[in-house]
Amino acid sequence: MPILARRRAINGAFRALSSLALAAVVGPAAWIVIGVVASAVPHWKWSVLTTPTQGASGGLEGAILGTLVIVVGVGIVAGGIGILTGVHLAETSRVRRDGRPGGGLLRGASEVLSGFPSIVLGYVGYVALVVGLHWQFSLLAALIVLSVMVLPYIAKATEVALRQVPTSYREGAEALGMRTGFTLRRIVLKAALPGIATGVLVGLAIAVGETAPLLYTAGWSPANPKAALIHQPIGYLTYPVWTFYDYPSAAAHQLSYDAALLLVVLVVALLAVARVIVWRSQRHS
Amino acid sequence: MDLDKIEAPHAGASLASLVDGDVPRPRNVLRSKDLSLRFASKTILTGIDLPIRRGSITALIGPTGSGKTTFLRTLNRMNDKVPGFAHTGDVLIDGESLWARHADLLDLRRRVGMVFQRPNPFPMSIRDNVVAGVKAHRIARRGQLDLIAERRLQEVGLWDAVKDRLGDSPFRLSGGQQQLLCLARALAVGPDILLLDEPTSSLDPMSTEAIEHLLSTLAPALTLVVVTHNLAQARRISHETVLFFDGTLVEHGPTADLFANPGDPRTQRYVSGRIG
Ligand SMILES: Nc1ncnc2c1ncn2[C@@H]1O[C@H](COP(=O)(O)OP(=O)(O)OP(=O)(O)O)[C@@H](O)[C@H]1O
Ligand SMILES: [Mg+2]
Repeated sequence: MPILARRRAINGAFRALSSLALAAVVGPAAWIVIGVVASAVPHWKWSVLTTPTQGASGGLEGAILGTLVIVVGVGIVAGGIGILTGVHLAETSRVRRDGRPGGGLLRGASEVLSGFPSIVLGYVGYVALVVGLHWQFSLLAALIVLSVMVLPYIAKATEVALRQVPTSYREGAEALGMRTGFTLRRIVLKAALPGIATGVLVGLAIAVGETAPLLYTAGWSPANPKAALIHQPIGYLTYPVWTFYDYPSAAAHQLSYDAALLLVVLVVALLAVARVIVWRSQRHS
Repeated sequence: MDLDKIEAPHAGASLASLVDGDVPRPRNVLRSKDLSLRFASKTILTGIDLPIRRGSITALIGPTGSGKTTFLRTLNRMNDKVPGFAHTGDVLIDGESLWARHADLLDLRRRVGMVFQRPNPFPMSIRDNVVAGVKAHRIARRGQLDLIAERRLQEVGLWDAVKDRLGDSPFRLSGGQQQLLCLARALAVGPDILLLDEPTSSLDPMSTEAIEHLLSTLAPALTLVVVTHNLAQARRISHETVLFFDGTLVEHGPTADLFANPGDPRTQRYVSGRIG
């Protein structure tokens, strides 16, 4: 049967192409993870977690704590503002007399923002905050720049998640005489939660892996983070990865790989939490 | 007052008649007066005059696109936010315009409940679904919610099926059970009027029978307006039938009369199955 044979051939070709595409995505990711693990694990010492950095040797305690502080901070600042922006784009600006979706200016601004390279945002932060406002290298400057960077991402994820909530929920709530705010809080946001949480966590994973904007704003400190928003530089894990790798000593190289491993673990953990949230919510609805 | 709402199934009606004392209330709980409606430049309804008797079941029938849903959704102002919505004429509820300046939209929707063609439970537990509206309107205290949920589920005949899984998702219930749940949810806020848009069209015959039976027990405590494509259903459950045709009201009368002696040739053809 020639038709059947042709179908089989086309089918096979598409399958081969898809496998190729899959390999193109999974390959580099696996290569990085394997490379990092293979270089870091053989000489891994748990004391790295609890020892402060001395020059380019010692441990990574300060950088680990700094990264965690930055992640939590960005989660609060960018998560809060991003989710509110997304809610506004999807819900509040929805009603326009002519039926078109509103919020055009905000959406446009958000999209432009997401187009800036992170190093440009970092430089702007350096000029405006670190130098301009005399904050010096500081946690606050880093938080603001990283938040501005991932905010459009979180806002978009929130907007998309909210728009995917079935209209039948909103109609049902409206017909029961629920206030818009009540409907949003009790029904719509709940239904959109997995999408929003995924957006925030992926945004944080992106922020965790940034180097350039942090070099410009956080500076670097081998010490543990201080309870100060400004005037105090702060450590973070991408710094040793980026800087110590070029040092001539073996100890610096090791620290660089250890930091890379910790970053990979942190990013994978963030993404895993996102998956768990999605999976759980699918099970319950 | 709160307690009354819980004890009496349809406190809205009974309470109000107590409060009103001997002041007679209009016989027609709803009255559409020369209602015309358009969405932007598209006219959907023209000159609808329709009184709806308190405690009756009114069936709205008519070909697809004739404006039944649009009319029904006007009765609790669900069309107001459709882009380009504009109307002339009026709809009175207990003698007052739906759009009166001091009218409370949220309370209107509490008094005029709605059940949709496709069951639309909320993504929360079965129990929370039933009391969702009660919480939104703060009709009862927290401690009374379980009791309310039980009463309403019993009322719609769902209690035995779900009493062991009140905390479960409603989406694992059958379509008919989900629709009964939506009815329980609508009843829980104590409405006077219930609007139903083809409430059984996505259900099997058994579930349809269960819903029809429930509807016929709800009147005369409640006033029901039911859109249906099922003429046999209209004959079985309704007291009055209204035929819509192309955005106009063609005929309105007692169900038995309208089916036996249709006055308008279009009604004649529609009820004998030659158009639609
Ligand atoms: N939001 C809207 N915007 C514009 N036109 C609309 C809108 N909703 C309904 N219409 C139009 O109004 C007319 C009446 O629709 P409606 O849904 O009320 O009919 P129906 O009698 O309920 O039909 P069916 O039996 O198929 O449910 C149709 O021509 C429809 O296209
Ligand atoms: Mg319809």
